[in-house]
Amino acid sequence: MATQAPPSRRRVALRWKSRPPGRTQSGRAGGGRTRGDRRLGYLLVAPVVILLLLVTAYPLVYNLWNSFHFVNLSFGGLPHKFVGAQNYTKMFTSPLWLAALERTLAFTVASVVFDTAVALGLALMLHRRFRGRGFLRAAILVPWAVPTVVSAMLWKTMFDPRAGFVDYFLGAVHPGWASLTWLNASVWRSWAVIFIADAWKNVPFVAIILLAGLQVIPTDIYEAARIDGATSLAAFRRLTLPLLKPALMVALIFRTLQALLIFDVIFIMTGGGPGNATETLSFLNYQTFINNLDFGYGGAISVMLVVLALIAAAVIVRLFRPAAET
Amino acid sequence: MQMRPENRRPASRQPGNRRRGALAAVAAGAVVALGLAACGSSGPAKVSASTKQTIVFAESGLGTEGAQTQKAITAFEAANPKITVKIDVLSSDSTTYLSQLEHSFIAGSPTPDIFESDVTYPAKFAQAGWVKNLSSLNPNMSQFFPTEVAAGTFNGSPYAVPWFDNPEGLFYRTDLVKSPPTSPAQVVSDAQAAMKADKSLKEGLAFEGAKYEGAITAFLTVDSAFGGKLDPQNVDTPGNTAALAWLHDAVYKNHIAPTAVTGWQEGQVQSEFSSGHAAFAINYPFVEAIPAAQEGPGVAGHIGYIPFPAGPGGTPGSALGGEMLAINAKTAHAAAAWKLIEYLTSAPVEAARAEATGDPPSLPSAYTSVLYAKAPYFKNVKVLNGFSQPRPVSPNYLQVSTDLQVMLSEVFANTKSPAAAIKAAAPTIKSDASATPSG
Repeated sequence: MATQAPPSRRRVALRWKSRPPGRTQSGRAGGGRTRGDRRLGYLLVAPVVILLLLVTAYPLVYNLWNSFHFVNLSFGGLPHKFVGAQNYTKMFTSPLWLAALERTLAFTVASVVFDTAVALGLALMLHRRFRGRGFLRAAILVPWAVPTVVSAMLWKTMFDPRAGFVDYFLGAVHPGWASLTWLNASVWRSWAVIFIADAWKNVPFVAIILLAGLQVIPTDIYEAARIDGATSLAAFRRLTLPLLKPALMVALIFRTLQALLIFDVIFIMTGGGPGNATETLSFLNYQTFINNLDFGYGGAISVMLVVLALIAAAVIVRLFRPAAET
Repeated sequence: MQMRPENRRPASRQPGNRRRGALAAVAAGAVVALGLAACGSSGPAKVSASTKQTIVFAESGLGTEGAQTQKAITAFEAANPKITVKIDVLSSDSTTYLSQLEHSFIAGSPTPDIFESDVTYPAKFAQAGWVKNLSSLNPNMSQFFPTEVAAGTFNGSPYAVPWFDNPEGLFYRTDLVKSPPTSPAQVVSDAQAAMKADKSLKEGLAFEGAKYEGAITAFLTVDSAFGGKLDPQNVDTPGNTAALAWLHDAVYKNHIAPTAVTGWQEGQVQSEFSSGHAAFAINYPFVEAIPAAQEGPGVAGHIGYIPFPAGPGGTPGSALGGEMLAINAKTAHAAAAWKLIEYLTSAPVEAARAEATGDPPSLPSAYTSVLYAKAPYFKNVKVLNGFSQPRPVSPNYLQVSTDLQVMLSEVFANTKSPAAAIKAAAPTIKSDASATPSG
């Protein structure tokens, strides 16, 4: 298969050859700036840098510091005593934390696989030309634009056994399916509703990222593949999926982190119930911080969440690294 | 490159550099401003009640409750012209309300100066040092119902004053249940009979079964009827197990309550009863204050309200709910805040609130023939106040509450038997209730 770039790209490449990006016409790179310019630059970015340090770096570092201390605001007057790894030991041996970890990981795997598969199908569909495509592309973004708390409330109402349309619909299909209590009366039904509400909200987001990835794949390679006798399935496996890798990686990182940190849907729909069957790590973290005001133990749970998120992101980046880099 | 003459001018006088200089000044100013914004300021000195001042009162009242509070505040300001009260309406959701208060206290804010507190908050706030010990103000706590006074007492000192006292009890439809039931078993049989007789009923009993604080008060309402006691040190008792089994069986064995109770809070329970869907309901007195026009057919004028009837070895059951008033430990306006508390908890003001909103007075002396003439159901409320049991008064109550909610939710969802759930939860509840800084 021919790999020569089209003429317009060659022109761009030639221009770059004569004057590489990042260098000025005079040949000076950024290093040619005067000391005054640099000082001004630092001063201009200083407010933003300070603000970012205050609202992101400081809480992160403070949280890490808390996780090695006794910091329980319920005991307001007590000093923040250093306790070493005690909060972490408590966490790793807590049946509540271990159960929440298990649930969080199971939910993350299930929802990421499901959402990505559905979103890929949706993106492939929206990539095709058909009447009303523009409207549909805009419309699928609506669930993503709805705040999670609002969408969770909407789904909770829809699954209400007295007022929800789900009960009405199921009852119309089969009388025995009417008056089912979905939330907090059964573990699997509670998870099913959480899963549906979460997918409804997040599938469009993944689909849009994948659609953007599909749009930068040049169409001529498909034409060449078709001429070479490749079937649609072969073209999808050999061309689309490999070329979609960068977009897939971004989508998976975002989606995995969202799923790992799931909180608001559960808080609104089940409050972690029945029992604590739908409690995830973020929910446990909320209870530790907000209910118990235990910023030491809560800090340890938060740090582990960050570590888990970093591990997940690193694994995805590693899996999707281009062949040349591996 | 040859340098042009203007380039030899001092750098600061070059036009481009002047602009840069101005930008640098703005940037430096922003840095300084940010630095200043990060700095705190020291608190003001204590202000006497006779000085002109404004105090902030945080409360959660909306609708008629909010309007009645505003009315009382207006009257207070007229009587105390030097004190202006700014009402800060916080969330009507109790969890969010608590968070809002805690955020203010954690930040060390001197406002709100005075605030409404649920009966379960004072011990926690007192331990954290967020509320003022009222001992120095010599409050006359003996004038209030003693169970609510106990809820506001920590280490023997009063930290909150009862504002209104909400005893949770058993509502029933007097047109469907001819005489009030005298035992838990009779509640079941009466509910079943009512469901048989009136097909428009959707359930015999409605109660709060959602995973939230209200499920604990519903359980507590039933608990003492079986001889149970909600002592965090010893939850696994036959009385507590029997009470929980009764609620469980109401759903899964006797079928007088639907599984939908697992999503019901007091609002849904009130709605089920007021709209005529339930023969019995476990709820707070506000159900009786619902205007007749908002009630379903047959409900208006047919509401009975009693303590949950006692079984063998038990006493009539009721759970203490209600709100208290407390003063921020950091306020400079404690004297004015105390004046407002005294005013709001005076018998005439409490009686006026009761008439307007249905909030039951915390003062037995406010239950007068005048009040009964206007709202006869307060006779029942006063009876229930005599039986109401407080939830455990503990600085760690929120942790205990979380454990109890998990336990109740498991039973109401039928994922654990009442006995198994209590057995499993008891050690955690005990450990959380006695948790100390040293662990």
